[in-house]
Amino acid sequence: MTGVATMRRPRSLSEAIDTLAASPGADLLAGGTDLVPALRTGARPVREMISLRRIVELRARGAAGDWLTIGACATYADLAGWSLAPGLAATARSVGSPQIRNTGTVGGALGTASPRGDLLTFLVAADAGVVVTGPVGQRQLGIGRFLADRHGPDELVTAVKLARPCGPQTYLKIGARQTASIPVASCALVVDRVRRLVRCAIGGVASRPVRALAAEDHVAETADWSTGALPPDAAHRFGELVAEAVTTAPDVAGDDVYAPAAYRSHAAGVLARRAAARCLAGARGADARRP
Amino acid sequence: MTEIAIKITVNGRPQEAVVEPRLTLADFLRENCRLTGTHLACEHGVCGACTVLVDGAAVRSCLMFAVQAADREVTTVEGIAAPDGTLSPVQAAFRDCHGLQCGFCTPGFIMSLTALLRDNPDPTDEDIRVGLSGNLCRCTGYQGILAAARQAAPGPAEA
Repeated sequence: MTGVATMRRPRSLSEAIDTLAASPGADLLAGGTDLVPALRTGARPVREMISLRRIVELRARGAAGDWLTIGACATYADLAGWSLAPGLAATARSVGSPQIRNTGTVGGALGTASPRGDLLTFLVAADAGVVVTGPVGQRQLGIGRFLADRHGPDELVTAVKLARPCGPQTYLKIGARQTASIPVASCALVVDRVRRLVRCAIGGVASRPVRALAAEDHVAETADWSTGALPPDAAHRFGELVAEAVTTAPDVAGDDVYAPAAYRSHAAGVLARRAAARCLAGARGADARRP
Repeated sequence: MTEIAIKITVNGRPQEAVVEPRLTLADFLRENCRLTGTHLACEHGVCGACTVLVDGAAVRSCLMFAVQAADREVTTVEGIAAPDGTLSPVQAAFRDCHGLQCGFCTPGFIMSLTALLRDNPDPTDEDIRVGLSGNLCRCTGYQGILAAARQAAPGPAEA
């Protein structure tokens, strides 16, 4: 493997921030599941790496008040059985293979920010907060803002914050080897029965996950919130509106080696309808194949 | 190139070396430790042939740098059989059930399945398929591997 002259291995967050300040432009290494293949192909010329694996404080996760906090170095395997965050757990279980889930991290998913990233798509639907820490302290950004602006060169992602679930959540995807492949299209649906709304994000279809706002509004208006049920025709319309949102998204992906664009938008609509069937009782009749 | 001194416990034996940061765990095992049972095929995290256990968790050794495994315990396929050479239940099942043909992918499957059955001693066929989804075999068509997994599974824990 070419490049990679040095690797520093800080033992604490404060040491990591000092190290980053002393070597601007260094690449952060967590699980390595994205960085190492990029090094092999030469896609990312890397001279200096800072390995975050020894920083125990970044692996913590916890619940306080209405919020769940997940340390940036928590692995997918750490999250796969977390009962407090069923949607996040379902997403974690759908990533890669057991070997990848044992090493890949939350912070790595945000650092790479692949438009096909499973976790990224769920975090957009969950309207997550991203905590970044630098020499002047920590600040929290909304996931949308984070994806648009990223973080400063002297900062690193230290945690993700999610509201405690107030209703069903799911994550569905289509890919060549199911979990082991990156998805051709994916759909995260988060239902908030307290605020009477849903949020839906579609991954794999554009340069970042796409929120289907008109489709979300349609569900908010047509669901029976006393029971959490959605009429079958409303679920069908939800799927159509999600497909439309994909077609009209800014910088939507064109035909590529994975799939034609028309297949992606169609698949997004089907996945959204299935997700509604899972999360909103009564919508089940809209999808006969998955009763 | 700044080299780093590391100590890794491999199959119960401490191994010390001074390595370049870019050295992968797979290359460390094969070149430095001369443990060539860990196979490298795709070298970018797709095929699973290089699977080893790090602190008990199945990982792809081609995606991990040796320095990241410092002060941790690594188990390779050479560490699976008993000291007298008696095959582990997983290894014996692969032989009995024709779980291998050319054998190149086998060390990765043995490691993945060993970790899977430790965590889930009575898996369904679906559990086995999902648990082995990170390993590719181009010979067997997987049926022999599934049969081996069923044979090797200890079954439900006794109450």
